[in-house]
Amino acid sequence: MDYQCLPGWKSIPELSLLSDLPKPPKQIYYMGNFDPHIFSDCVAVIGTRRITDYGRRVIEMMVPKLVYAKKTIVSGFMYGVDQYAHQTAIDAGGKTIAVLGWGITYPLEGYDKKLAERITSSGGLLVSEWEKQKPTLWTFPVRNRIVAAFSKEVIVVEAAGKSGSLITATIAQKLKRMLWAVPGPVTSRVSSATNRLIADGVARMWLGEYESATPVSHDNPIVAILEDEPLTVNDIARKLGKKVEEVGAQLSLLSVTGEVAEKDGKFHPAYVHKD
Amino acid sequence: MFIKINSIATIGLETIPVDVEVDVAEKGFPGFTIVGLASKAVEEARERVKTSMVNSGFDFPSKKITVNLAPADIPKDGAAYDLPIAIGVLVASGQLEAPKKGTVYFFGELSLDGQLRPTRGILLLALFAKKKKHASIYVPKPSAPEASVVSDISVYPVETLKTLVLHLNGTTAIRKLAHRIVEPESDDTMWESDLKDIAGQEQAKRALVIAASGGHNLLMWGPPGTGKTMLARALPGILPPLTPAEALEVTRIYSVSGLLSPGTALLTKRPFRSPHHGVSAAGMIGGGSSPQPGEVSLAHLGVLFLDEMPEFPRSVLEGIRQPMEDGAVDIVRVSGHVHYPASFTLIAAINPCPCGYLGHPRRACTCSPKQIAKYRHRLSGPILDRIDLTVMVAPVEVEKLAMTGVSQIPTITTSEARIMVLKARSIQTKRFLGTGLYTNSQMKNREVKQMCHLTPEAESFLKVAAEKFDFSARSYMRIIKVSRTIADLVGETHILPTHVAEALQYKQFV
Repeated sequence: MDYQCLPGWKSIPELSLLSDLPKPPKQIYYMGNFDPHIFSDCVAVIGTRRITDYGRRVIEMMVPKLVYAKKTIVSGFMYGVDQYAHQTAIDAGGKTIAVLGWGITYPLEGYDKKLAERITSSGGLLVSEWEKQKPTLWTFPVRNRIVAAFSKEVIVVEAAGKSGSLITATIAQKLKRMLWAVPGPVTSRVSSATNRLIADGVARMWLGEYESATPVSHDNPIVAILEDEPLTVNDIARKLGKKVEEVGAQLSLLSVTGEVAEKDGKFHPAYVHKD
Repeated sequence: MFIKINSIATIGLETIPVDVEVDVAEKGFPGFTIVGLASKAVEEARERVKTSMVNSGFDFPSKKITVNLAPADIPKDGAAYDLPIAIGVLVASGQLEAPKKGTVYFFGELSLDGQLRPTRGILLLALFAKKKKHASIYVPKPSAPEASVVSDISVYPVETLKTLVLHLNGTTAIRKLAHRIVEPESDDTMWESDLKDIAGQEQAKRALVIAASGGHNLLMWGPPGTGKTMLARALPGILPPLTPAEALEVTRIYSVSGLLSPGTALLTKRPFRSPHHGVSAAGMIGGGSSPQPGEVSLAHLGVLFLDEMPEFPRSVLEGIRQPMEDGAVDIVRVSGHVHYPASFTLIAAINPCPCGYLGHPRRACTCSPKQIAKYRHRLSGPILDRIDLTVMVAPVEVEKLAMTGVSQIPTITTSEARIMVLKARSIQTKRFLGTGLYTNSQMKNREVKQMCHLTPEAESFLKVAAEKFDFSARSYMRIIKVSRTIADLVGETHILPTHVAEALQYKQFV
């Protein structure tokens, strides 16, 4: 993939947000079709590499809404929350900007490469302030300041005690960006830092707006109990006191009609976004 | 004097007659030579024969003794030629009359005190001798029950060399072993693990029932400690017993590999093999300088369980591809070309990631996506293509195990499952009469089209699902085969939408 250099980003009004940084990048390298409007309304969705099922559900619920509100999703392209946010944004038909923690020429492989191609082909950008930098310990925190600077709002989905997302959160706070954190179970390590941000009053609590996926299907007992929590086939059969083969067949029918979805053996209601 | 004694050589499961020619020459320097491509074990027969003859009170002639194992160009291995050589020397040196009536075979290993030791391949000898009229075989007593299942031959269980000589002299007769008809095992056998002892995992149990009914290969997927191994060990209990013809086929393999415990007549339980992941390719497929059956053949008509499947070396996993397709293996070595049957049901257990805790409700996974991708990549596409059922074995919460006792949740027991499997198998037996197939899993595309009738609703549902989940043509066929088995379990002649819907639950996740 070809990359371009943007030495004079200061002349582009949409990128003026970067000037808020005490040490803004000298130049910006990017891949993809450059359209300055992509920068005009950005939201950062960031979090841990160790994403849990809960984190995925939150992103599936949150990102399509942001996309529908014509926002660009900015994140750090690291596996976990970042990549899932990019992917969900593309799946929802939105544009997304990946701020790399390494130089633009650094070769990608496997899923990273596929995702990078999807980002650029869907009208998004891969961005870095370096040309040939290798990823090392210091590059990621430095990259985080750009993620924060690009965005008007920063949402932390899941983060553990020492997460790099906290660095982004601190920078966002200094830059006076709107900071959100998603509350999580107090038993989960990767929700400890997000809950702490809320408890300390640093971040606003993101509550989403729970919408029932399929209000009409509440008469279907399976969908009804899945509204409460994701469950395996065995759990559902046990709760409803039905045979596992019956429940399995029902779930297949519901999956095909798109009322429920499955991830790692657990079923949850598919989130339908109403216009 | 010269004498010829009948014995056999086995190459794989094939049996070849061998003439043990013994000559005790009046002239020449005293010595004892064995010729005819004898292996080290056969060479050493000289010392065993000599010592056991002396210790049994016979005279070992100090003359020039030559033993030829004819045909001379086939390699001979094993200790079974001890007995024919000893009898040959005794006859050729005039200490014993040559046996006259019918065809007589001698086969067995001697110990230094003249006792006969358990020897492998007795069943093959008996099956070979059956082809001759009025054949009698003299075999070591501990292994003789193997031969008792073969009709129309006289089996003489021999305890020591001395008693055999007394019998052949007509002094004290050895009693013939009566022909035995082995019944299929009764239902009250104790199983290693019963389905009802496994908490939760109803879906995995259901998948086991389907796998056992249709002979489908099954992949179980889940974190450590969720019961994958216990489930697999419960499978032999729900498999239908071996038919007499199948039992003979399986016992033959175990007889050549020397794995039958002394005193066993016929194996009636389906074999369950679970090799460790350190197994070599030769151990899995079969091999050795004189090729022995590997795990795939020892699991013939039974179950091959691969725990932690991605930990097996790639070469071993790729090696089982061909037997999975053909139901047999051909092993080629310097000493020859050997064909072993290897038609088994594969049960594989894998962790979701190298550390095992991906998707675990309470423990965090410590693997990077790259490690996970690498781990899953070890299962090659062609292997996964041959697996019809995939089931998630999720962790069961400890509280749930305690709260929901066996009485509260309807759980299937091994004996119930067995009845369901037997019923489904009998339907398949009728369906495949005269086609050479036994189970739904063996159907190829042509048979699927002929024998799996979907109702129009089922067919349109399957088409919608195929589009939704982006099925390949192969997975499409797989779903139909599994639906066929599910329909057989409830005795339906047509495949209904609910059967297809259930089959969809066991589709692959990768």
